[in-house]
Amino acid sequence: MTAAISKVAVIGAGVMGAGIAAHVANAGVPVLLLDIVPKDAANRNVLAEKAVAQLLKADPAPFMSKRAAKLVTPGNLEDDLGKLADCDWIIEAVIEKLEIKRNLYKNLQAARRPGSVVSSNTSTIPLAQLIEGQPKAFAADFLITHFFNPPRYMRLLETVAGPDTRADAVAAIRDFADRMLGKTVIPCKDTPGFIGNRIGIFWIQAAITAAIESGIAVEDADAVLGRPMGIPKTGVFGLLDLVGIDLSPHVVASMVATLPKDDALNGVLGDPSLIQRMIAEGLTGRKGKGGFYRLDRSGGAKTKLAIDLKTGQYRPQRKADLESLDAFKAGGKTGGTQALLTRGDIGGRYAWKVMSATLSYAAELAPEIAASIEDVDAAMRLGYNWKTGPFELLDKLGPAWFADRLKADGRKVPALIARAAAEGGFYKVEGGQLQTLAFAGGRRAVKRPEGVLLLEDIKRKSKRITGNGSASVWDLGDGVLCFEVHTKLNTIDRDVLMLLGQTIARVPLMHKALVIYNEGSNFSAGANLGIALFAANVSLWNEIENMVDLGQNTYKALRHARFPTVAASSGLALGGGCEMLLHSSAVQAHAESYIGLVEVGVGVIPGWGGCKEMLRRWGTSPKMPKGPMPPVAKTFETVGTATVAKSAAEAKELMFLGPQDGITMNRDRLLADAKAKALSLVKGYRPPEAAVYVLPGPTGKAALAMAVDGLRKSGKAMPHDETVAASLATVLSGGDTDPTGTVSEEDILALERAEFMKLVRHPKTLARIESILVTGKPLRN
Amino acid sequence: MSNVVIAGYARSPFTFANKGELVRVRPDELAAQVVKGLLERTKADPAGIEDLIVGCAFPEGEQGFNIGRILGFLAGLPRTVAGATVNRFCGSSMQAAHIAAGAIRMGAGDAFICAGVESMSRVPMMGFNPMPHPALAKDYPQAFMSMGETAENLASKYKIDRATQENFAVQSHAKAAAAQSAGKLNTEIVSILDGNANVSQDGCIRADTTRAGLAELKPAFLQAGTVTAGTSSPLTDGAAAVLVCSEDYAKKNGLEPLARIKSIAVSGCAPEIMGIGPVHSTQKALDRAGVKLKDIDVIELNEAFAAQSLAVIEELKMDPAKINLDGGAIALGHPLGATGARILGKAAALLKREKKRYALATQCIGGGQGIATVLEAL
Repeated sequence: MTAAISKVAVIGAGVMGAGIAAHVANAGVPVLLLDIVPKDAANRNVLAEKAVAQLLKADPAPFMSKRAAKLVTPGNLEDDLGKLADCDWIIEAVIEKLEIKRNLYKNLQAARRPGSVVSSNTSTIPLAQLIEGQPKAFAADFLITHFFNPPRYMRLLETVAGPDTRADAVAAIRDFADRMLGKTVIPCKDTPGFIGNRIGIFWIQAAITAAIESGIAVEDADAVLGRPMGIPKTGVFGLLDLVGIDLSPHVVASMVATLPKDDALNGVLGDPSLIQRMIAEGLTGRKGKGGFYRLDRSGGAKTKLAIDLKTGQYRPQRKADLESLDAFKAGGKTGGTQALLTRGDIGGRYAWKVMSATLSYAAELAPEIAASIEDVDAAMRLGYNWKTGPFELLDKLGPAWFADRLKADGRKVPALIARAAAEGGFYKVEGGQLQTLAFAGGRRAVKRPEGVLLLEDIKRKSKRITGNGSASVWDLGDGVLCFEVHTKLNTIDRDVLMLLGQTIARVPLMHKALVIYNEGSNFSAGANLGIALFAANVSLWNEIENMVDLGQNTYKALRHARFPTVAASSGLALGGGCEMLLHSSAVQAHAESYIGLVEVGVGVIPGWGGCKEMLRRWGTSPKMPKGPMPPVAKTFETVGTATVAKSAAEAKELMFLGPQDGITMNRDRLLADAKAKALSLVKGYRPPEAAVYVLPGPTGKAALAMAVDGLRKSGKAMPHDETVAASLATVLSGGDTDPTGTVSEEDILALERAEFMKLVRHPKTLARIESILVTGKPLRN
Repeated sequence: MSNVVIAGYARSPFTFANKGELVRVRPDELAAQVVKGLLERTKADPAGIEDLIVGCAFPEGEQGFNIGRILGFLAGLPRTVAGATVNRFCGSSMQAAHIAAGAIRMGAGDAFICAGVESMSRVPMMGFNPMPHPALAKDYPQAFMSMGETAENLASKYKIDRATQENFAVQSHAKAAAAQSAGKLNTEIVSILDGNANVSQDGCIRADTTRAGLAELKPAFLQAGTVTAGTSSPLTDGAAAVLVCSEDYAKKNGLEPLARIKSIAVSGCAPEIMGIGPVHSTQKALDRAGVKLKDIDVIELNEAFAAQSLAVIEELKMDPAKINLDGGAIALGHPLGATGARILGKAAALLKREKKRYALATQCIGGGQGIATVLEAL
């Protein structure tokens, strides 16, 4: 039996190897990062050390915390092989050359501890070729673990086990990757490109070739292939610019070399001359001198350019304006995609050509490359950031409609699609259980990994207890209720607060605890600013003040509820969303939680108790120096600059999360962990008592004003920042109090409310709110 | 009346606050090692010391508890040696020497250790609890004005452009780097032990500082200003100490004095141009010594900012060739409480090294003050 993984080695300090090492460190596990000793190198660890330095500079950050960065130890393959004996998992991420990998494996086999696991991060080479000629003991401990770039952020991990791989080795890696690295582990069959790249590269190649052949402009191609297909808005050409245009010929060549001659990929290779020319000229994308798109800075102004696929010349970029895009917009959420694919304009024809080929390819291949339909969908969602996988997209379009279109084109209908058309779709809910078409025939239940609890499954099985247009309440079982916000970006409006208040009153009647959770991309982007701006525009100041009041009272009720409340954050938790976390008994945070009080960006200050809670947290932190100013200054610095934690680990450093709050690496395990946390708090739960504060009063405000004055004069703060900061300083310093006196929670809430109302009437504040709502960008005024 | 002499000078390496090698060393520990080093070098008898006077600009946190007394314990001084903390911001440890000089003249002691320390990493500038008088802050904000802004005020008042300031900073680094590589700084530096680490080199000096490099920095204090991080002294960790005693005591105890303290002075000026402080205090000290500025051979002028130093130089018509021979605070660093002892000890040591007759050590002080000491060769 393989013991728990407590030390990891990554061989190869390239982009992927270094990124994987960083992410292992994010899990709190020490990791050795080794690479070769370059010829005549004075510093023998130079490659790994450079890679770590690069990681520390990269954006988005590969590390979740500074602490994590210290867990990576750079080394080299000549002096440090002996250290591999301490490692439980050795990940090979060296160049995709079979001979180099095979030679390395011989060295690893000699150095490693028996029973340790070795895996390759190869993206294209089949396992059978990798282990050829290796001893049995090596093959038993070997598998493929294919990460996606960047390893911290892409949730997909594809694994391939060979016929000789120990089952417990696979289980140990799977468990570690799932719980510690937060990956969705998809077992793949031993075929080239596995699932994600097999379908993804076909899609990219089909899209390039069809674009060149059809004469569609790159902007138009990306516009129809992006959002309308549930694919990131970079579409295909924007995506290639992002990942590097020079990468794709290597991957395609390697795929073509290993795939059978009759694979459909061979049919979409097209004319490579444009891309070859671009690479030769250094037009490799964003990392190079430009790609399919380019930002021209000559002549002072920035001009966005796009390449003409026919001439290869740049021309000014233009906004996509297509009949098919209008049809998509008119068709809305349900019918839009089908409407686009049905149009006869260049956009509709192009999108149909690419997507019909890609979806057919996926349907033809699925049984050969994957264990299930849902695995294929998950791979494309989590490895390529598609909103829906190919089969989910087919269900959305209607498999029968899709099959008919293929037939009308005189093309073959893949067997799986024909079955889905006949049997009512790839997915179906039967008796509250999600089912898919089984490859072997009939249907099978979609199984979640052990311990995974998803709200989407609960929704299939049960009716909501209560709710309104903005939020719902569900029963998680075991006496735990779930409060779910489901507005746009999960912003908080009156209905959310009203229902939360009612739910807090309801829990003690029949339940033990409350979890606040949703399965969207974000916990909550904050208060609904649109409503606030509307009220301000018609001078409904009372209405706004009532909202401030309602929020303060609801959050107070949350904090002082007689039962435990656990907020489960993931994605953004900003402003009023952050304040919801701050007022819960505990938070269970997904590691990728981005938490902050960002109110000053729109010209106001936290008004739902955010100032009060941050002051309390910093004021009771043992790390703070004594005296009335340090907690005030620290809160002022964090809130006054709208600091957002870039991970849950960073949120702990910034005190948005407390020391007792939990962090879950795997998004799919967040709800189960939050529920368990809530239940663990039930026994003997006592709500916190109201805090009493010692604050500096006017002297504190004077000190903070001096700091802001400096920022203003040096150009780091704008004039309205000074106004907003003065209000924030008034609240945080406790108004007119004196350091010999005390300030209550109610006093601070009253200050928050008064200063918020003062600011929200300011024309410059309203201009900031309007800017965020209209352009999505903060206004500096 | 007894003459007062400086009979020894030592300092720690000066390193960047928050990123240098002394970040993790407590200021009381740092200064105690310097005091011990000073006693070892001078071979002065600790039992003869009247008082240990320590200058510190923010005497709180690890610099609190009357650090003067704490240092005595840490440095293993006899319990009979008293200890005090004095605060005149950047002039604190020069003030410590002035207090000692006055006491010696009063017959209130023969020998004093006058030290200074600031860990700007561990005790922030303004302290942990800045609590200014709110009404004063409103009605007379210059009382609390940021030092950078006062430098900008002098730059515009004396029309000192950015290039001139940068030139001054480049020279400061060049002089310090030359002194460092010639080993001239080693004689004053006491290595600081931090666990197993041994910190023995100054950390702020950048030999490769160029005008072009400095020209790329953004103004640090005023958006359209001329003062940058490169033309300001950096936040620094460091400690320094001088042994101040009567000339008779030095003779009797076989000490080797560096210089005699000829006169001392402090003065006040408008806080918004605090950097001009050395002008008046220098004039007062020169008058009291009966010496003309042209007779001064060696000048240690603290470089809080290039703009401020240049304004003083222009106002007093100082000869730049005599100033800061081994570089100034822009290159070496400026640990507030320690700087006074450094430039006083440095001026005394230079007088001896250069075999000259008179030296001047002077500095500006936040809030609008100046402090100056005139030294004479023995």
